[in-house]
Amino acid sequence: MGQLILGQLLNGAIVGTLYGIIALGVTLTFGITGIVNFALGAFMMLGAYMAWFLTDEAGLAYPLAVPCAVAITALAGLLADQTLFRFTRNNLVNGLLVSIGLIAVMEGGALLLWTSTPKNMEYVLPGVFTFFGLVVPKMKLVVFLVLLGVILATYAALTRTWIGRAAYAYSQNPEAAELMGVRTKVMQSGVVVYSTGLAGLGGALYASLYSIDPTMGSVYILKAVESAILAGIGSVMGSLFGGVLLGITEGVGSIYLPIAFRDAYGLIFLVAILLFKPAGLFAGRR
Amino acid sequence: MTASARVLVVAAAFALLPVLIKSDFILTILVFSFLLGMLAVSFNLIFGFTGQLSMFHAAAFGIAAYATHLAMVHLGVSFWTGMLLAATLVAVLSLIVGIICFRFRLKEFYFAVVTLAFSEMARLVVLNWNSVTNGTLGIILQDKPSLWLPGQGVVKVDSTLMWYFISLAALVLTVLVCLRVISSWMGRSFAAIRLNDELGDTLGINVFRYKLAAFAAGNLIAAFTGSLYAFFLGSIEPGFLSIEQSLAIVAMVLLGGRGAVAAPVIGALVLTSLPHLIHFGAEVRSIVYGSILILTILLMPQGIYGTLSNLGRRRRAA
Repeated sequence: MGQLILGQLLNGAIVGTLYGIIALGVTLTFGITGIVNFALGAFMMLGAYMAWFLTDEAGLAYPLAVPCAVAITALAGLLADQTLFRFTRNNLVNGLLVSIGLIAVMEGGALLLWTSTPKNMEYVLPGVFTFFGLVVPKMKLVVFLVLLGVILATYAALTRTWIGRAAYAYSQNPEAAELMGVRTKVMQSGVVVYSTGLAGLGGALYASLYSIDPTMGSVYILKAVESAILAGIGSVMGSLFGGVLLGITEGVGSIYLPIAFRDAYGLIFLVAILLFKPAGLFAGRR
Repeated sequence: MTASARVLVVAAAFALLPVLIKSDFILTILVFSFLLGMLAVSFNLIFGFTGQLSMFHAAAFGIAAYATHLAMVHLGVSFWTGMLLAATLVAVLSLIVGIICFRFRLKEFYFAVVTLAFSEMARLVVLNWNSVTNGTLGIILQDKPSLWLPGQGVVKVDSTLMWYFISLAALVLTVLVCLRVISSWMGRSFAAIRLNDELGDTLGINVFRYKLAAFAAGNLIAAFTGSLYAFFLGSIEPGFLSIEQSLAIVAMVLLGGRGAVAAPVIGALVLTSLPHLIHFGAEVRSIVYGSILILTILLMPQGIYGTLSNLGRRRRAA
C-alpha cells in the first residue's frame, strides 16, 4: 500500500509538471495580455504531432526533433498572435472566444491531416530506474527534469534579468512601463509566442510517453487552468506547485475514491479554492 | 411597431411556412433551429443582458433532458409533468450554484470557471452513473409527448409538422417573456449590473438578487428546451452536458447578436442549418465553425443583427 501511494505520488508529480508547463503559459499570458488562452491545449497537441512526425516519419533524432517541434509551435503561436490575439488584448471574453474558435480550427485541421486514430511514438529511451523497489521509466524522469528545468529557468529569468523587471513594471502599470522604455507591443507578442512554445515543449515531451490524438489538448488546458488558479494566477512557481498538487491529488485520490470521478477531484478542489481563498494558495508570492 | 408586435409578425410568417415547404428535411432543421434558438435566447438573458458568462447552460439543458425521461419511467408521469418536475429540479440546482457563485461575488472569468466546474461535475455524474443514465451510450427515447387537440382528442406528437408548431410556439413564448422581462424594471437592473455592478450596488440595486434571478430564469428556460429537444431527437447522451454544447450556445448568441432579445435565433438558424445545407465532413465542420466564431468576434462584434441594424440606421440617417 505504501508503495502504491509513493508510486502515485511520483506519477502525480510527473504529470503535474506537464500541467505546470501549460499553466505557466496560461499565467504569463493572463498577466501580460489580460486574456486566458484556451488554445494552449491545441498548441500542445501541435507540438506533440510535430515531435511524432519529425521523429517517426521524417527520421530525425528525438533530441533534435523536440527543439524543432517547439520552434514550429512557437511560429504558429506568432501567426495566431499577429492575426488574432493582437485584436483581443485585455478583452477577456473576446480572447476566450477567439481562442476557442482557434481550438476548433486546429483540432479540425489535425483530424484532417492525421485522423482521429491515436499515434504512438516508438520508444525513445527504453528502460527503467529502480529506487527502493519503485519502478520509474527512464523517459518519464527525463521529461520531469526537462520541464522542471524550463520552469525554473523561466522563474530565474523573471526574477534576475531586465526582462523580468520589464514584465513586472508592465503588469503594475502598462503606461508608465512604456514611458520607461519597455516595448510593450513586443512584450505582449513575445509572451504569447513564449507560452505557445512552452505548450509545444509540453506536447513534444508528452508524445514520447503517451499516445497522442487531436483532442488531447482539451483535457490538459482545463487541468492547466485549474493549476494556474489553484496557485493564484500570476505566480510562476505557483503554476508548478499548482500543477504538481493537482497531479498528486488525482493520483492519490484515485487510490481511495472511484477512478471514474478522477477528473472531478481537481474541480472540487478548484471550486473550494476559488470560494475560500480566491487569490490562490500562494497568494502574495511571485 | 413594438418589439413584441414585430416578433408576432415574424412568428406568423413562420407559422404559414409549412404551407409552402413540405420537405420533412427542412422542417426538421427548422425545429432544431427553433429549439436551439430558444436555448440561445435564454442564455443571452444571463450573458448578453446581465453580463455573466455562464458555462452552466448545457448542464441545465442536459439535466432536464435526463430528468424528464427518468421521471416518466420511474414515476410514471406524462411528458408534460415530467418536464415540469425536471424544470423544478434544474431551478433548485441553479439556485444552489447561483447562490454559491454570487454570494462569493465571483465575476467574469472566475464565474465562468466555477460554473464550468459544476457543469463538468454534472456531466461526470451522468457519464458514470451507468445504472440510471446508461453511461456513454445514452438512452433511446421511444415515447413521444401526447397533446390534446381540438377535434382530434389526445394525440401523440410524432409528426415533424406538429413538432414544428410546438417548437415555434415555445420559441415565441420564450422571446415574448424575455422581451417583457428586459423592458421592465428587472431588465434595467440587469443592464445596470452588466455595465457596472458596483455602481449598481451603490444605487440600491440588489446585485445578488438580480444576478440570481437572471441565472435561474435563463436556466429554467434551458430546462424546458432540454426536455423538448431530447424528445424530438429521440435520444439523450452525456454530450448534452458537454463544454462543447455550452460553447455552441455562446457561438449562436455571438453570431446572432447579444444586443436584442430575438437576435440569437438568427445565430441558431445559421449555425444549425449551415452544416446540413452544405455537406461537410466532421473535421471541416469544426474548422468552419471555429472560423465563423473567430471572424464574428473580430469583424462583427455585434453579430448579424447588430451589424444589419447599424447599416439600416446609417442609411436612414443619410
